[in-house]
Amino acid sequence: MQVDLDKTFELPGSANQGWTFLQDIPGVASCMPGAEITEQVDQSNYKGSVKAKVGPATMAFAGNIEIKSIDTEKRELHMVGKGQDSKGTSSATMDLTAWVIEEDGKAILKGKASVTVTGKAASLGGRMMTQVADQILNQFGKNFCNNVAAMGEDEAAVQAREELAEQPKELNGFAFAWSVFVGWLRSIFGGKASS
Amino acid sequence: MTEQMDKETREAALQGMGCSRKRKEDARFIQGKGRYTDDIQMAGMLFADMVRSPYAHARIKSINKEKALALPGVHAVLTADDLKPLNLHWMPTLAGDVQAVLADEKVHFQYQEVAVVVADDRYIAADAVDLVEVEYEELPVLVDAHKAMDVDAPVLREDLVGKMQGAHSERKHDNHIFNWQAGDKEATDRVFQNAEVVVSQDMYYHRVHPCPLETCGCVASFDKVNGHLTVYLTSQAPHVVRTVVSMLSGLPESKVRVISPDIGGGFGNKVGIYPGYVTAIVASIVLGVPVKWVEDRMENISTTAFARDYHMTGEIAADKDGIIKALRVNVLADHGAFDACADPSKFPAGLMHICTGSYDVPVAHLNVDGVYTNKAPGGVAYRCSFRVTEAVYVIERTMDVLAQKLGIDKAEIRRRNFIKSEQMPYKTCLGWEIDSGNYHMSLQKVLDAVDYDGLRREQEEKRAKGELMGIGLVTFTEIVGAGPSRNCDILGIGMFDSAEIRVHPTGSAIARMGTITQGQGHQTTYAQIIATELGLPSEEIQIEEGDTDTAPYGLGTYGSRSTPVAGAATAVAARKIKAKAQKIAAHLLEVSEDDLEWEVDRFKVKGNPGQEKTMKEIAWAAYNNVPEGMEPGLEAVDYYDPPNFTYPYGIYLCVVDIDKQTGETSVRRFYALDDCGTRINPMIIDGQIHGGLNEGFAVAMGQEMPYDEQGNLLGNTLMDYFVPTFVETPKWETDFTVTPSPHHPLGAKGVAESPHVGSIPTFTSAIVDAFAHLGVTHLNMPHTAPRLWKTIQELGVK
Repeated sequence: MQVDLDKTFELPGSANQGWTFLQDIPGVASCMPGAEITEQVDQSNYKGSVKAKVGPATMAFAGNIEIKSIDTEKRELHMVGKGQDSKGTSSATMDLTAWVIEEDGKAILKGKASVTVTGKAASLGGRMMTQVADQILNQFGKNFCNNVAAMGEDEAAVQAREELAEQPKELNGFAFAWSVFVGWLRSIFGGKASS
Repeated sequence: MTEQMDKETREAALQGMGCSRKRKEDARFIQGKGRYTDDIQMAGMLFADMVRSPYAHARIKSINKEKALALPGVHAVLTADDLKPLNLHWMPTLAGDVQAVLADEKVHFQYQEVAVVVADDRYIAADAVDLVEVEYEELPVLVDAHKAMDVDAPVLREDLVGKMQGAHSERKHDNHIFNWQAGDKEATDRVFQNAEVVVSQDMYYHRVHPCPLETCGCVASFDKVNGHLTVYLTSQAPHVVRTVVSMLSGLPESKVRVISPDIGGGFGNKVGIYPGYVTAIVASIVLGVPVKWVEDRMENISTTAFARDYHMTGEIAADKDGIIKALRVNVLADHGAFDACADPSKFPAGLMHICTGSYDVPVAHLNVDGVYTNKAPGGVAYRCSFRVTEAVYVIERTMDVLAQKLGIDKAEIRRRNFIKSEQMPYKTCLGWEIDSGNYHMSLQKVLDAVDYDGLRREQEEKRAKGELMGIGLVTFTEIVGAGPSRNCDILGIGMFDSAEIRVHPTGSAIARMGTITQGQGHQTTYAQIIATELGLPSEEIQIEEGDTDTAPYGLGTYGSRSTPVAGAATAVAARKIKAKAQKIAAHLLEVSEDDLEWEVDRFKVKGNPGQEKTMKEIAWAAYNNVPEGMEPGLEAVDYYDPPNFTYPYGIYLCVVDIDKQTGETSVRRFYALDDCGTRINPMIIDGQIHGGLNEGFAVAMGQEMPYDEQGNLLGNTLMDYFVPTFVETPKWETDFTVTPSPHHPLGAKGVAESPHVGSIPTFTSAIVDAFAHLGVTHLNMPHTAPRLWKTIQELGVK
């Protein structure tokens, strides 16, 4: 099961601030709901984990993140994350290219992701994959923006830091399903999908 | 009471052939008193559960059992390495290939068995499965059969690399299994070159699963003291399983007992031998205690025996009047990771060469290439006789395409090409001999019953209003009752079947059979055959099947073979008993055998009313007063090797209305006329036809095993896999004609699968017909609302 996604987020700070944060791999990873970097293996390899809770069941993915390239000139990062759940029934791969550009004086984060899921997660969740991946990336974008905003010292930065502190530490399946559902409803009734 | 009335009363009391006797089995089933494999409980029994691969294609780098073995209640964790010393890590398949029992260095399909955990109960076993750590290295995945033989296709079966001679032919590629052909290629091609009209249609018969209510499972119990192995198993062929188990384990066949208890539906899913069975047996032999393995629903749909997955092209060469001059069929068969089809050994594509159908086809050629892909193994006959469903689909679809091209009505084009009743028995150009049939009469009966012309007029009016109404018609001929041992065997054993009948002194009887019922009602119908043949009430005749220690050897129940083969054996065994009874009667009445005539339940002395002996009286005498030189007792056994297959046929018509806004199909009418020869129990036939139509509806309208590019099976739960209930099921109208089989002792042909085989192309025919005026010649199944909605959008239907 493969899903390709393109995402654009307007950043609150400057392009340079955005690019600075984008190179902070543990920081970027923590923007992913439920994800964290557990160990830096070498300069370009990290170990990480993602926890997802759906009702009584917890799925824990453990895996590696490899930084394929960092292009400072283009402000572009290419990374590949691979993980397997601890029960060995599912695995996921994400190939992500993210870059920061300046457009009309605004800093914009752009991302291109290709997510591949195999095993039970694909069999059982295949139909929801696009919506779920989309929601995860929306959450990611929101956290990323907050992190960039938090670099400042103004009121917005304080608020961003507060929001980040309140961020749940694991991916909650039910809350998540709700946001997917709301996004779907909005798309049906012509509103903008939740962001 | 007149003599005639007396005779009729006695006949009715027997509840023999032709009577809608109530099913003997239902009393226990409707009370929840059936005894299925999972109901078997034994002292000290352990449970097995499987560690399965999340990947479709990957190398196994390591398997760590430590955490699983440390869990209290876990007795063993077995991997391929543990089975290697016993040479049981691979097993032979019925198709001449081998299949990994537990993945040996590589996994070849998603959910493949990697390790088996044996524990105190199934919950501990399931927990321990989660604790087995397997490290994989992913490999490129092959799911598209069309790419299997590409130069750069990933090689799936490393165990076969360099072995270019397969079980059935040379292999052209490492992912090639076999090439198999029937008919005359050159002559067929010649006709095509010069034909007035040629039609060609590609079609994909999608991958589906029989999905019986009861999943597969077994309880293996090895007695270390006397070396006996008893296996309770959900098997449609327990005797064959016994032979295979003996061959694999080295135990003498006399020390292996296989018992198929009540079975909750088979439909082909329970013909094969699965890794779960083998590992449970090995675990029981090693641990010395009974071991149970029962798969769950996801395991059932994902791993044990799928059906179809045939990419077919049907081509007909004809003249301008639509008279067929030649038929060409080309098939790319996706067999998954191991060739584990259940077919007679000689036929890697089953009886696909019945694809000339009910038509007088002068010359034909069939070409089938089988390939490996990273999908589950199987390819069984899902409520069908060895690829007959595929054969019927390709010929019936292509006939419609021909009719459409020539602007001839689909009923008319069939009428023009039917084999005529006076041509029967008819030798087809692909080598079969169709035993009997009157297609013209049966077709006319259906067309009259539904007012076909009226339906066509209504369709015209609806089309004018922009509505989508379709009429489907299929006139199929099946080939069932495998089969004559000259062309049918499984593992070298001829496909005969058997019956052993023993009449007790008081005139009741027991019969044991080589077949095994899975819902067909054998306990009811076999007794009816014996009742009519021997004049004993069916109520007093006990039918037993499924225990290899007591029943005579038989090849089992699938491919609609029970009535054509074991039903014939029953009749012949009964006739052997009757012949002996006649001798005893002559002895008792002190007349010559020739002076006796049979009437319902007794032998009478011709022309001498009152001088008679009933079968019950004869039975008593068989144990105390037999003619000199005759051995006492009244029993017989028959192993029946049929001289030919039987060829039931049917005429099915379906009317659908398709909602333009939603793509939803409403089956307004489905009329199924079946001719299965002599009818043993009309009520059971009706039940079988309803069941088969339901499953045909399921396959055509919703069932599907979709794989994505990574080889993930998307749809292996009942949330996705379509099993129709009363809510979705259309109303069925059934009808029949009777054209007895000339070579079957009773004239019966078998019926259970016809409605499945015949109805599937009928639905497609109806759906396509709804769009035919827009130039559509074929639509692939399943005909779900979203797919039809897309078609409607693409065609711009307003």
